[in-house]
Formats: sequence, C-alpha cells, structure tokens
Amino acid sequence: MTTLTLPPAVVESLSASSPEGVLLDIAAVLILLCAFACLGSKLFDRYVIYYGAQSILLSFAAAVVALHQHDAGLWALAVLTFAIKGIGIPYGTRHFLIDRFALKRDVALSTGLSSSLIFGAFLTAFAFLAIRPGTVSSGLVAEAVLPISTAVILLGALCMVVRRHTIAQLIGWLIIENGVFLGAIATVATFPFIVEAGVFLDLVAAVLIMIAFVSGLARQLAEASAPELRQLSE
Amino acid sequence: MGDVLQVIQSAVVLLAAPLYAGVLSRAEAVVQCKRGPSVLQPYLDLRKLLRKGSATSDQASWIFHAAPFVAFACYLTVSAIVPIITDEPLPLAFLADLIGGAFVLSLASFAISLAALDTASPLGGLGASRTTWLGSFAEPALILVFFTVGALSRSDNPYLENHAIAHSGAAYVLPTHLLGAVAFFMLVLAENGRIPIDNPSGTIEISMIEESRVLEYSGREYALVKWGSWMKLFLLSAIFMNVFVIPWGLGDATSLAGGLLGILALFGKLAVCGLLIVIIDSSFAKLRFFRIAEYLGAAFLLALIGIATSYVLGT
Repeated sequence: MTTLTLPPAVVESLSASSPEGVLLDIAAVLILLCAFACLGSKLFDRYVIYYGAQSILLSFAAAVVALHQHDAGLWALAVLTFAIKGIGIPYGTRHFLIDRFALKRDVALSTGLSSSLIFGAFLTAFAFLAIRPGTVSSGLVAEAVLPISTAVILLGALCMVVRRHTIAQLIGWLIIENGVFLGAIATVATFPFIVEAGVFLDLVAAVLIMIAFVSGLARQLAEASAPELRQLSE
Repeated sequence: MGDVLQVIQSAVVLLAAPLYAGVLSRAEAVVQCKRGPSVLQPYLDLRKLLRKGSATSDQASWIFHAAPFVAFACYLTVSAIVPIITDEPLPLAFLADLIGGAFVLSLASFAISLAALDTASPLGGLGASRTTWLGSFAEPALILVFFTVGALSRSDNPYLENHAIAHSGAAYVLPTHLLGAVAFFMLVLAENGRIPIDNPSGTIEISMIEESRVLEYSGREYALVKWGSWMKLFLLSAIFMNVFVIPWGLGDATSLAGGLLGILALFGKLAVCGLLIVIIDSSFAKLRFFRIAEYLGAAFLLALIGIATSYVLGT
C-alpha cells in the first residue's frame, strides 16, 4: 500500500446487487425521504427530528461503506457523523434555539406545503434526469445514490428558499451538507480523512456561530429575509 | 382442479371477510382496554339484516336498488382475478390485470356514489362528493404504484409481480418495491376509510365519508353493502400481503391440498396485516379533511420516487 496509485473508489467496486450496495441504496432512499419529511413539515421540533434521523442514516451509510472498504478513517467518520450530526447538532439546536425561544409552528413560509412538496418532487425527477445513467457505469450502487444525493442537495436548497425563518433555513443548509456528504461517500470514499474532519469542524463552528447570531437577533426579529429588509428601508 | 380452487378462492373471500372485520374491531377494542364485540358479530349482523325488510325513500329510483348488487358483484369479480390462495393464475385470473381490477373497484365505488345521490338526501350527496374528491387524489397514486410494480416485473399482472419478488431477494429489497409497498398500504387505508382518513366506526354524520353514502340503506340491501365493504377490506389486505409484503406461502394451483394450505397461510398473513391496521387505528387521529390531500400526496410522492429509482437502476 505504499504505491502512489489511488486506492479504488467505491464506484469501482460496490455493485448495486451486493448486500452492502442494497443497504446503501435503502439508506440513501430513506435519507431522501427524511429531506422530504422536513420539507413537508411545519413544526420546528419536527425539522430537528427529521434532520437527526437523516444524519443517523447517513452515519449508517458511511459505516456500510467503511465495512466494505475496511477503512479506519471512514469508521471514525461514521462515528463522528453519528455523534455530531445525529445527536449533537439536533440537541444543540433544540436546547439553545427552539426551546429557549419557545418556537412551535413555523408560519414564515413563502408557499404552501403541498406546492413545495410538488416542487420538491420535480427537483427529484430533475436530479435523476440530470445524473443520467451513463454518468457512472451501470450496475453500481453509486448510479442510484448519486442522483439521490443531488436530489437531497436540491431539496435542502428548496427548504432554504421556501422558509423564511432563520432556524428553518439553518436546517435547510444542514440538509444540503448531508447531501454533499452522501454523494462524497458514495463516489469518492478515498477523500482524505483530514479534509472530512476539517469540514466537520467548520460545520460545528458554523452552527455555533449561527446559534450565537440567532440568539442575539431572534429577540428583535425572527426572520432574516431580504424582502423584509427592503421594506424597512422604505 | 383450477375450477374447484377458483370457487374455493371466491368462497374464502365471501365467507371470511366478515370474520376479518370482526377480528379487527375486536382487536381494536382490546388494544383500547375494552372488551369489544365478539369476532362473530359481523355474521350476526348479516343474519339480522338479511331477515329484515328495507325501508326506502319514495324518491329512490331503480339505481338505488341496483347499486348494492352491482358493488357486490364487482367485489366478487375482483376476488376471482387476484392472487388470494394460489401462486399460479386460476382460470379466471386472465379477466383483468391490476389496472383492470382497480377499474372494477372504482366501478363499485361509482355505483354506491350514484345511489347516494339518487335519494337526494343531503348527507348522501356530501358523502358522494367527498369520496369522489378523495378518489381523484387516490387514483393517480394507485396508478403510480402499479407503475412501480411494472418496473419490477415488466408487467401489470399481480401474479408476475408476486413471482418477481418471491424469487429474488435483490428485487424484494429494491427501493422501488419497498416504496411502492408503503404507498400501496397508505392507499389501502384510504380506500377502506380506515383511521387517518375516516373513522370506520364513526357515527358522527358531519365528519364521516364512506359511511354517509350508505346511510339511506336498510335491511337486505344494507347487508349487501356492508358485506361488500368487508370484502373490499379483505381483498385489498390480501393483495397487499400476497403481492407486496409476504409473497411466499401461497398454495400451488394444481392440488386441492395446496390450495387449502394456502388458505391457512393467508389467514396468518392477514393476521399480520390486521395487526398493522389496528396499531395505526389506535395510535393516530383522523386527519382534518383538507389534510387528506397531503396524505395522498405523500403516497403519490413515495411511488414517484420509487419509479425514479428504478429508472436509474434500470431494473
């Protein structure tokens, strides 16, 4: 293992019909459904629960790939994902933001729930069409997981667009991050561990800053939305 | 042998459907710490109703009297064409595929809706309007579920779908199949007016959906309507278990013993499905009427994602 050739990426070796491939496939679909659940929900509590479930599923997916690759770095990543994203961030968000400001029902939505769900379905279809079969060679698990991760990214972005409350936008942004992470572990499991860990630290720092920022801001105005700011200046 | 089994299959649906409904309501009562009616109560109800005469509005036309028979015949037809006790198609199974079966079920619902409008009672019209509204959301989702079936088995025949997933573990765990199964279960609950959509034991006229269509019926015709709705629940549960969840354990179509064993297996599977329904019935509340669209939209979405996944996997 001292040669300079790149170790084989998961796309090269994980076929869709192997047990690991099937597990990864199902986990990816459940992650997509969590994103949809978040998009279709109206309660702050639920956002956090769905995000936590999604992250735990993501750590499971990472563990499956780690099992296949026998990669200690990926194992550490799976554990970190579980601890930080699955438990830490949901707990922190709930304890420091939602409970403290007694947030219950999100009313700052740009569109109705049904129309945002339908738009989400279109985005999913778009993701599947955009990552055409043939982008990755067929029969491999990444062929299904890559479009799903793209769809999760788009759904997270949709969450941020549709919702105007800062905390809801924070959750949308975290979902985008989960989508990126899913795509990364399904295609390039050889990502250096230090980069992934660095991204993690960034994420935690960002959430902490967000918490501090929102705590200060939320008392005066709960939304950070450009249209409202424009109205103020008039 | 196929002809005998064909008759047995329809007889099982006809005779066991009230028992299934009785077990469900008894189990529901037990879960809620009540004693509940006997599991044979539906049979006693049927006997009582069949002996009574009907009182009908003088505004009712022949449609009102024909509808229970049409609906009952539709459910009997469906019982002949779907896999209930055997895994090979019986002689009449080629009458229709899944979509054809869904058409026949819609025809039954259409007949009952017409009858509800026929007497011009306000509650009947309310029920007919609500069921039609619900159907307009449920049907597209149902068609998409059939597409997930088609993506797996390259056909819209329930027997081929059963074989496709019974003989391949990989096909069984494909997201296409799992999502299709969940979506179909949501539709089974919606079609039968179970709890997230409608309260099956509800007696509050203003909020009921299915039941308000048949308020005008009494006596023998009411018995047929009730029996038909129990058969519908039985049939859809059996399709859900045999085609989507437990495709194994069906009897072979060449021997009588195989068919009879299939009946026993069917009862076991229905017990599982009934347990699922009872758990959902006692742990969720009825949805507000205008949120039903979101519920059915979710079923639509699940099936759509299932199809998208299959498109990429190229199964």
